[in-house]
Amino acid sequence: MMKNRLSIVYCALASFCFVSSQVVYAGSELSTEPIPYLSDESLPPRTKPLLEIGPKFLSTGNIPKGFVLPTGAVWTPSLWVYGNLRSGLQTYDDGSEQEVTTNEWANRLDLFANLQLSGTERILIGVTPLHNRETGVFSGTIDVDGSDSESIEELNFDIDTLFFEGDLAELFPNWDYFDSSKNDIGFTIGRQNIEFMDGFLVNDNIDGIGFSKNNIRFAKNPNIINWRSSIFFGLDGVNRDDNLDDSDSTLYAWFNQIDTTSSTYNVDLAYVTSDTAGDLVNLGLDAVRRFGKTNVTVRAAFSQATGDVTEQSDDGVLLFSELSWVPAYTHDNVYLNGFVAIDNFTSVARGPLAGGPLGRTGLLFAAQGLGSAPSALSNNATEAAGLALGYQKFSKDRKTQITFEAGARFDSLGVSEDEYGFGVRFQRALGHRSFWQIDGFATNSSITSGTEYSARLEFQVKF
Amino acid sequence: MNRSSHLIIVKFLVGLAFALTLAFVELAPFDTKLIEPMMLSSAYAQDLLGDDLLSNDDLLSDDDLLTDDDLLSEDDLLSEDDAEQDRGDVTGSLDETAKAHLALFAESKYPSANTCKACHENHYKEWSVSQHAYAQLSPIYMAMQNKINKLTNGTNGDFCIRCHTQVGMNIGESTYESNLDRHPTSREGITCVVCHRVEQPYGKASGRLALVQGDLLTKVYGPTGGEELERVLDNRNEYRVVTEADESGRKIHTEIGHFPQIQTSQFCGSCHDVNLFNGFRLEEAFSEYKNSPAAARGESCQDCHMGTIQGKVSGYKHAPAAEVGGVPTKERKVTNHFFAGPDYSVIHPGIFPHNAEAVEMASLREWLEFDDKAGWGTDAFENTVADDYEFPARWRSIDDRYDARSVINDQYELLEWAEGKRIEVLRNGYLMRDAIVVKNSKKGLRFKIPVENGTDGHNVPTGFDAERLVWLQVTVSNDKGDTLFKSGDLDPNGDLRDAHSTFVHNGELPLDKYLFNLQSKFLTRNVRGGEREQVLAINYSTDVTPFVRPFTRSLMLTGQPAGARKHRKTLPPLAVRDANYVVNKKQLAGADKVILNYKLMSAMVPVNLVAEVADVGFDYGMSAKEVADNLVEGHQIIWEKETVISLDQ
Repeated sequence: MMKNRLSIVYCALASFCFVSSQVVYAGSELSTEPIPYLSDESLPPRTKPLLEIGPKFLSTGNIPKGFVLPTGAVWTPSLWVYGNLRSGLQTYDDGSEQEVTTNEWANRLDLFANLQLSGTERILIGVTPLHNRETGVFSGTIDVDGSDSESIEELNFDIDTLFFEGDLAELFPNWDYFDSSKNDIGFTIGRQNIEFMDGFLVNDNIDGIGFSKNNIRFAKNPNIINWRSSIFFGLDGVNRDDNLDDSDSTLYAWFNQIDTTSSTYNVDLAYVTSDTAGDLVNLGLDAVRRFGKTNVTVRAAFSQATGDVTEQSDDGVLLFSELSWVPAYTHDNVYLNGFVAIDNFTSVARGPLAGGPLGRTGLLFAAQGLGSAPSALSNNATEAAGLALGYQKFSKDRKTQITFEAGARFDSLGVSEDEYGFGVRFQRALGHRSFWQIDGFATNSSITSGTEYSARLEFQVKF
Repeated sequence: MNRSSHLIIVKFLVGLAFALTLAFVELAPFDTKLIEPMMLSSAYAQDLLGDDLLSNDDLLSDDDLLTDDDLLSEDDLLSEDDAEQDRGDVTGSLDETAKAHLALFAESKYPSANTCKACHENHYKEWSVSQHAYAQLSPIYMAMQNKINKLTNGTNGDFCIRCHTQVGMNIGESTYESNLDRHPTSREGITCVVCHRVEQPYGKASGRLALVQGDLLTKVYGPTGGEELERVLDNRNEYRVVTEADESGRKIHTEIGHFPQIQTSQFCGSCHDVNLFNGFRLEEAFSEYKNSPAAARGESCQDCHMGTIQGKVSGYKHAPAAEVGGVPTKERKVTNHFFAGPDYSVIHPGIFPHNAEAVEMASLREWLEFDDKAGWGTDAFENTVADDYEFPARWRSIDDRYDARSVINDQYELLEWAEGKRIEVLRNGYLMRDAIVVKNSKKGLRFKIPVENGTDGHNVPTGFDAERLVWLQVTVSNDKGDTLFKSGDLDPNGDLRDAHSTFVHNGELPLDKYLFNLQSKFLTRNVRGGEREQVLAINYSTDVTPFVRPFTRSLMLTGQPAGARKHRKTLPPLAVRDANYVVNKKQLAGADKVILNYKLMSAMVPVNLVAEVADVGFDYGMSAKEVADNLVEGHQIIWEKETVISLDQ
C-alpha cells in the first residue's frame, strides 16, 4: 500500500514540477522588436561523445584529407563512442489478492562505437554491458514482496551490434565516374537492429545482409515522388514472436516506403522459416497523412502461418490507427490511438525487450525496456481491441514535458480480461545530456480484484 | 571472477557513468573553451598560447593540436598585398593588432575571393551576388542553425554551418559567432577556395571535405590543368606576375592542378546531398539527379547551372578565364559562377552582394547604420534633410553618403541582374499550363491548373525542399473586382495559410484547403500519436534532450532516423501535377462571368521558419518582422495568367 501511495506522490510531484515551469505562449504576429542575437554565452556548446579519435564529431577545425582506396573512394576515418545510460528505481504491485510488490533498481547501458569511414561508409559496434540481451535481465537489485534484496549482475561485453554499411556508388566511384547510372545502392552486412513499420512486423537485432535503393520513380506515375525499397536476409539471431531466440529461423524481408503527393505509404512483406517455430508470413500496409490539422496513421498487418500453427506462428489481423493534433497556441500533442486484433497476430521477429506489437498504442501498452515490470496494459495482439487517449504538454523551451494518458483494452472473446488504466509521464532535462523521468501507472482489470500499480523514477544520460 | 566481484564492477560502472554525467554537466562551459580553442573571438589569442591550454583534453588527437604549418610564418605577416586585400572589420573585441594578425592568418591559408578578383573579375562578379556567396550571410539560416543546436543540445555542432562557411569552420570559428565578427573570408561562404582547393573526390560527404591550405601562391585546382598558366608564367614580363612571396609585383598561383572531377556532378554531390549522421536525409539533389533522365543522357549539373542560360543545357561561353595585369589570357570554355537558385538577400545592400569597394569604404556595422531606405546619399533626401538630422559618426559627411549611395546603386544593379537570372532558372524549372475548366455553371465552378517540372534533371524544388515554397496563388473575382475565391494568399505575417501559419494554427484564419504547394514537409514521430509536421525536424516529443548521434541502425536500409523524416512532395522529373479548385454557388454569388487570375509563385523559405527560429535572434540586429517583410518582398512570380470564364446557367 505504501508503494501505491508512492506512485501517487510521484505523479503529484511530476505535475507540480511541470506546472511551475510553464510559460505563456506568444500570439500570432511576429515581433517588430529585434531579439538579441544569441551566441556562445547563451547557446549550448557542442556536446561531445564519450570518445573521439580522429576528426571530432560535428566539430569545427580542419578536416584531414584521408586516403584513397584502390577503388577510388576517399576515406577519412574517425571513431566516436557514444551511448545511453538508464538507471531506474521502480516499484510494481501486481494487483492480485496477495498484493505482490516488486521493488527494483535496474540499469542499462547501450554503448556504440561508430567508425566513420566516409560520408556513406561506416562500421558500427554496439555492446550492452549492463544487461543481458538474450534474457532481458538488467543489472541492479530486486526484492519481491518484502523479501531480502537480491543483487543481479549481468555484466557482459557481448556484441549486440556489429555491421558495415555503405553505398556501392560511393565505394566504387570510378564504376560510373559521370553518374549516368542508378548504381547508388545502399548495403549493410552484419548484426543490426531491424525495425520496420514502427516495429509491428520486425523489431529485433538480427545477423544478416541487406540492400536498399532510394529515389525510385516511375515516369508514367509522377505522383510517386519517391520509392525506397529494401531487402534484408536475416541469417541468424532471429527472435520470434515470443521474444525468444530461435536459432533455426531465417528471415526474408522486403520493405518499401513510398511518398506520394498526399501520403506516405509503407508496404512491408516478411517471411520467416523455421523447423521448430514454424513458417510465418507477415504483410503490413500503412498510410500516413494529414487531414487538415489532424495527423493520421492507419495500419493493417496480417500474419499467416504457412506451415503448422505454433506459439510463434499463427494467423491473425491487426488493424491500428493513430490520430493526433496540436492545440492552438501550443506545441502540445493530443493523441487518440486504437486497435483491433483479430485472431492471433504474430510478428515474424521480436527481440527480448520488444514486448508485443501493440506498444505504439500508448505509454500504458509500451514495454519499459528497463527492469522486469511488464507493460501496464497487455501489448499482445490476440483477440482484443483497445485505445489510448493522451495529452503531452511541453514547456515553452521544450525542456520539460508531461503526458497524461488513459487507456483500455477489451477482450474480444470474453475468455480473458478487460483492462483499463491511467498513466502519467514527466520528463525534465538536467543540463544538456541528461534528464530524469517519472512514470506512474495504475490499471484495473475485470478479473483481478485490486488495482495494479507501477511507478518509476528514472535517470537517463546520453553520451 | 565471482558473483560479488561482478556486482562491484557493475556498481562501479554505473557510478562512473553518473560521475561522468555530472562532470559533463558541471564542466560544460569550461570544457567547451578547452575543446573549442579556435572560436574566433578568442581563437587567435589561444593559438599564441600554444598547446598548454589543450593539455587537459585527453581526447584531442595530434591532428587537433596546432602544427608548425598552422603557425604564421614571417612571410605571412609581412605580405602587404595580402593585408590590403583583407581590410574588413573583424571583431570589436579584438585589438587592432590581433585583428590584422587574424586576417593574415586566414588569408595565408585560404585566400579571399577579393584576392582572386584581381585576375578573375567576371567570375568574381557572378559569384559575388550568388547563393554561394550569400550562404553564410543569411540571417535566417544562421538563426536556424543556432536554433537547431539549441534544440539538440549542441549535438548538431557544425553540421549546417560546415557547408555554409568551410573557411570559417576550418579556421575554428565558433558555430554561433555573429557574421559581424567573423573573418571576412569566412563571411564569403562558398568562396573560390571551397571548390578550387579540393584535390580529391570525397563523394557524398555532406560538405565535410578537406581544403588544401596555402596562400595565393599555392596550387589551385581546376578542370583543365595548368597549360595556360604555364604560358603566362613563361611570359612574366608581358603579364607582370611574380610567384615568389618575397618578390614585389602581382602574385599569382604557381600551379594549377588538373582535377577533372570538378566538372562532374559527383563533385556537386559532395555538398548537395545532405545526409546527417543520424540518418536524416535533408537534401537529395544529387541522388535525384543520379536517377534522372538527364543523368542517363550524360548531362551534368554544370551543363544546366554553369552554362549561358540558367537551368538549361545551353552551351558555354568562350572567353579568357582571366585578365592578368590587363592582358587577357587565351580564350577557352568559361563557366558561369552565379548558379541561380531560389535564394535572395534579405539584408542590407551594403553587406551583400560582396563588394570590395564597399569593404574598403565601411565596416559591416557602419553599413548597417547607413539608412538606405530613407534615401541617404540621394538628391531627394540630401536636399530636404533637416539641419539637425542626427547621422552616425561614419556618415556625417554628405560626401561619404553620396559615395555610399554610389556603391549601393551598383549593388542594386547587381541584385537586379541576379533577380533576372533567378527568374530564368525558375522558369526553366517550372511550367504552368493553362487552366482547364472542368465544370462551369452558376451552381459551381471547377477548374484545374497543371504544373509541370520543366527539367528532367531532378525534382523541383530540390535540395532544401522542405523549406522551399513554390505555390499557386489563385484568385477568382467578378467583373466589379470583388474577390469571390482565393487560394495561395498570405496571412498577415506573410505565410501561406497552411498548418504552419501561426494565424491558422491559432484558429484566427481558416486553413487554405485548396493550397497547391510543392514544399516537402518535415515530420517527427510523436511519443504516441503517429507523426506530425514540424517546421524543424527536431523530435522533442520522445524525450526532452534530443541528440544527434550516429544512427544505431543501418541508415542505408532505413533511409531515415527513428524519430524524424521528410515527406517529399516535390515534382519529379517529367511530372505534371494538377491543382484542383472548386468555387461553390454561394461564393459565385450569381456572377455571370468571373476573372480567374493564377500565378505560380516562389519563395526561398516560409515565414513560419522565421517565426520558429526567432527566439535565438537574427544577426545584424534584425527583428523577426523585418526579416519576414524582406522575405515576402522577395517573393517572385514565376508565371502569371488570367482568363475570363463565362458561367452557364
